[in-house]
Amino acid sequence: MYAIEVNKVVKKYKNGVQALDRLSLSVQKGQIFSLLGQNGAGKSTLIRILTTYLQPTAGEVTMLGKDIYSEAAAIRSEIACVSQHISIDTHLSLEENMIFQSRLYKIPKAAAQKRMEKLIADFDLSKYRKYPVSSYSGGVKRRLDIALNMMSNPHILFLDEPTVGMDIQSRMAMWDMMRKIRDDFGTTIFLTTHYLEEADQLSDAICIMKGGKEAIQGSPDTLKSILRQSVIQVKFADSKDAQKYLPLLQQHQPAQTFSIRNASVLCNSSDEHPSMADLMSFLLEYHIPLLGIEILQPTLEDVFLRLTQDGREGCA
Amino acid sequence: MSVFTILYRNIKWRFHNSFTIIVTILQPLLWLVLYSAVASQTMQGTGIVNYTGFILPGLIILVSFSACSSGGIMNYMMKADGSFYRILIAPVRRTSIVLGQLLEAVLCTFLEVFIMGAISLLFSVEIAADIGAILLAILLVFLGAFFISGMAYGISLILPNEVVYETVMNAIVLPLFFLSTALFPAGGMDGILGVIVNLNPFTHIINALRSLLLNGTLATRELLFVFILYLVMGGISFSWALHRLNRETAL
Repeated sequence: MYAIEVNKVVKKYKNGVQALDRLSLSVQKGQIFSLLGQNGAGKSTLIRILTTYLQPTAGEVTMLGKDIYSEAAAIRSEIACVSQHISIDTHLSLEENMIFQSRLYKIPKAAAQKRMEKLIADFDLSKYRKYPVSSYSGGVKRRLDIALNMMSNPHILFLDEPTVGMDIQSRMAMWDMMRKIRDDFGTTIFLTTHYLEEADQLSDAICIMKGGKEAIQGSPDTLKSILRQSVIQVKFADSKDAQKYLPLLQQHQPAQTFSIRNASVLCNSSDEHPSMADLMSFLLEYHIPLLGIEILQPTLEDVFLRLTQDGREGCA
Repeated sequence: MSVFTILYRNIKWRFHNSFTIIVTILQPLLWLVLYSAVASQTMQGTGIVNYTGFILPGLIILVSFSACSSGGIMNYMMKADGSFYRILIAPVRRTSIVLGQLLEAVLCTFLEVFIMGAISLLFSVEIAADIGAILLAILLVFLGAFFISGMAYGISLILPNEVVYETVMNAIVLPLFFLSTALFPAGGMDGILGVIVNLNPFTHIINALRSLLLNGTLATRELLFVFILYLVMGGISFSWALHRLNRETAL
């Protein structure tokens, strides 16, 4: 069953800006789903629609089997959203923040107390209980923000750029936390991020948006495979050698595209294994001095850049 | 129940930012203490026995304006820190969100009115009201503050930032205050000024409060008029605030 189904959704603001243009995507229950896209691609608008803050202009949206137009109130009790900007109340204590959230979601007092204790332990917040929230570091505030949004035990948790501005250690801790939320609490996580590595590491599924609609959706591996193109890298001792032997390689394989990156010559090949064998025999036959030769698989960054470049939109 | 959740949170905010209580009561207190002392000498021929007591009802309305305006500021702060959005996507009725916030402003008004009332006693103000009249006065203050806080809430959702909001609120409050019977009796006024003062709804609530607090009585007809007027205005104000909140998500 799908946690989220979006079908041909259009969002045109009253000021005339069209943020979403017949966007369709689906998120399976229990997944970590990442939404990628350049600034202005429509990610924030989509999150605001899915969290029932905005209504779409047209199209269908179903969340946990409920229609977003007619059952928004019922959907609200089953979702939570951690915004890009930390939204904890600094005038309340850690516990007061969590209890306030539980009251908003009408969680019975005893259940709320029990859940709060579990979340404080799971999110490693115990040592901060006595201190004012305003004195917390950004990372701890973010942890509290996520923990209090988990108070209502949401079926879907939206995270809008949750690791923006974090150092690498905090980011990795956050990744562990997201996996824990998915695995231990069974929560579907819908996140937006600008960090492609983060999407690659964490996600079960990714959607890349461009111009208000989906450019592609699939698992990280599926996305990488859609380029159907690998790069053969021939490493030389220095860039002079790379410059020197580039014409020879181009002459040998005129059908392929060659380029230079630092001290390497890169060959874009749609058929890497025969090309590599052929290149290796050519290099050995002519005693061309090289340090090594390897096939580079496309990264998510390559896929993202390829799909979001103007006029080169693709879909698998 | 959600109303009380929102109300409790906002009360915590108010006491955490207790300077907002001091700032909003400061100006009415200065009027009560300084202006009344200065102006009472020029009011000797008007038949007003205790001028501090005379301006107290007007200052109750002024302090309501100040306290309720600061309730509007809360919307800007909540938008800046993200909790405005978090509450709007929670399973809470929009009416509860608005009502919780308006009631906090009303409670803050009562706190400040109580402080002002206590201080006014130090200036020989004699409250002639019995318990019944005091209860009626409390009801009137509630209705007045509820109306003002609803307007402040709606205005804060229209205007882009706190600076513009403060400017607009000042531009509204001061003419309403001066073109009422807050500082002088309406008896001698005629012409266009008299019409404007009479059309100002705050004139009527100030007169009613003055009569209840200083004389302990108010004609039933006048009392009913003020109650109905402020019930209707409060209903309109609340509906408008709710409408503005709903418009926030109808982009």
